[in-house]
Amino acid sequence: MFATSTQKNHWIFSDEETLIRIREATNKAYVDQFRPPEDVGDFFLSATEERTLLHFYEYQLKEFCVKFQPTMNKAVIGTAFSYFKRFFLYNSVMDYHPKEILVTCVYLACKIEEFNVTIAQFVANVKGDREKAQEIILNNELLLMSAVKFHLTVHNPYRPVEGFLIDLKTRHPVLEAENLRPFIDEFLDKVLMTDVPLIYAPSQIALASVLEAARKCREHLDVYVTSILITDEEMLQSVVDAIRTIRLMVRVKNYDPPQP
Amino acid sequence: MGFIQLRLDSVTMDDNLACPRCKTTKYRNPSLKLLVNTCGHALCDNCYLFWRVSGLWDPTPSLRLPSPTLEDPAVEKEVDIRRRVLRDYSKQEADFPSLREYNDYLEQVETIIFNLANNIDIIETNKLIEQYKKENKEQITKSRTRKPTQILLLEAIIEEENRRSELRHMESLHSAKEEKIRKQKNHEALIDDLMFLESDAKAIVESHKATQAHQQVEASEIKPLPSQLGISSLSSSAPQPAYQQATTFTSGIGFGGSASFLPLPKGLGEVPLFVYKAFLLEIGGPPPPSLEQLKYPSSGKEGHLQHIRPATEAEIAGGYHHAIACRRALQDAFMDIAMQPKLLKSRSIQNESESESTTKEEVEMDTS
Repeated sequence: MFATSTQKNHWIFSDEETLIRIREATNKAYVDQFRPPEDVGDFFLSATEERTLLHFYEYQLKEFCVKFQPTMNKAVIGTAFSYFKRFFLYNSVMDYHPKEILVTCVYLACKIEEFNVTIAQFVANVKGDREKAQEIILNNELLLMSAVKFHLTVHNPYRPVEGFLIDLKTRHPVLEAENLRPFIDEFLDKVLMTDVPLIYAPSQIALASVLEAARKCREHLDVYVTSILITDEEMLQSVVDAIRTIRLMVRVKNYDPPQP
Repeated sequence: MGFIQLRLDSVTMDDNLACPRCKTTKYRNPSLKLLVNTCGHALCDNCYLFWRVSGLWDPTPSLRLPSPTLEDPAVEKEVDIRRRVLRDYSKQEADFPSLREYNDYLEQVETIIFNLANNIDIIETNKLIEQYKKENKEQITKSRTRKPTQILLLEAIIEEENRRSELRHMESLHSAKEEKIRKQKNHEALIDDLMFLESDAKAIVESHKATQAHQQVEASEIKPLPSQLGISSLSSSAPQPAYQQATTFTSGIGFGGSASFLPLPKGLGEVPLFVYKAFLLEIGGPPPPSLEQLKYPSSGKEGHLQHIRPATEAEIAGGYHHAIACRRALQDAFMDIAMQPKLLKSRSIQNESESESTTKEEVEMDTS
């Protein structure tokens, strides 16, 4: 369960600034090991440049997962994204090629989420040299696991979403809950591209997605949240804060793939 | 019916050889046996069967097809002929008054065989054979029953060997039995002595050991068997250890008083007893309904279960109920919904510094 999980204990951070700081620290550590003279200037990537690069590769990751045969379930995609984000939090893009890490993340996610794919089936989805890809994946697997500190269980927001839909249907039947589904899916896809999973709990992300979908359907769920779902005042305040921030982060994020 | 002439490509039983009838099968089965007919032609097993069944050729009544052990069918043929002829022409040396006549007889036999094997004057040779048979009819019948001397010799040798091995066996059994009895006696003697004699127990044991060893040496000297076949190895079993009186338990503790045990150390200190503390889960959100509430809803919370896929009979038999899945979904939805990431701040900085050092380690490992 999330409350007792390693995800909550090790991979949830306070806010975006913390994440930025961590990434800068990683970048600096990498550059420092070469002890470069001051006038190197543009040779190394800065933290922001790394971020842009990673954004591009996250987009590639998304495409890879969507086009994967046989069709992947969403939990696998969510887990793969989490691994990817966690890996490049503490490792530099300059050190490990994101493309290699990308496929390794997906492969490991398939294993963990019990989505059975043999390595042969897997590399069939990879374009280019299959043998080499297989080698790369298998060699990087252990590296990835250790970079994630072997915290392999990832709690994704998909089950909480189902929980909310059940609850809505039971306690707030005014709303046609099933209509919300496509919008929820859209929102969660966007969430994957942001840093939200590193900051908020999956239940909060799920609730945010439900509320956002309701807004798109021009429904009002405030009644549900305030009166039916949560009855405690303080709790309500923190929930509302969280939801608001999540929705903001998702809205603000630029989703066009950056041009190479 | 006439013979069907068959061609043989070559005569040796290697890969070139083909059964003349079904030419192809030799490729498939290099170990295919070719059976040789009396006419000197070879047939593979299947073709022989066909031949028998179809009856196309003149089936020679005396056709025997022993497994051909010789590669050359010509030789095979000759051997067959020889055997047949010699069954009839079976006079021994003793039957002739002189050596010369015996040799003449043998020459006669060889000529006949040669002629038959090479298809020379077959008709006349056969006539000769018939004539000879008629003349020596009684002799032939007598000798047919009598086994030829060579076979007799062999049989005698085999019998001799069997007898010897059986004798050996009996002797070994006998000696083993004796050994057993002897040991038993010694054992009993030792016990008797220990009980009744007044001298030191150790000395008795020693003396018994000595006598035992002596006896064993004697026994092995007697061992060379009457059959003189060097079977002395039978007696070379390892000398059994003499009977030893037990003085300790197998764990090493001696018989005798319990004074050797240490007393339990007192005053180790009172260790606090284990107290059970129930596991407390902090939900961090509104409480999700429990299993009972889901299964048996009060009026307010009716029917969470109706929105989840019901469990099939097989699943219920296996212990699953859809209330479990429902509760799980709701639990995950409500848990930590009121979590405030900022409150975790202190921990995340700690993580940060920890992970920085690990990153450095990782990086160093890679570059080293």
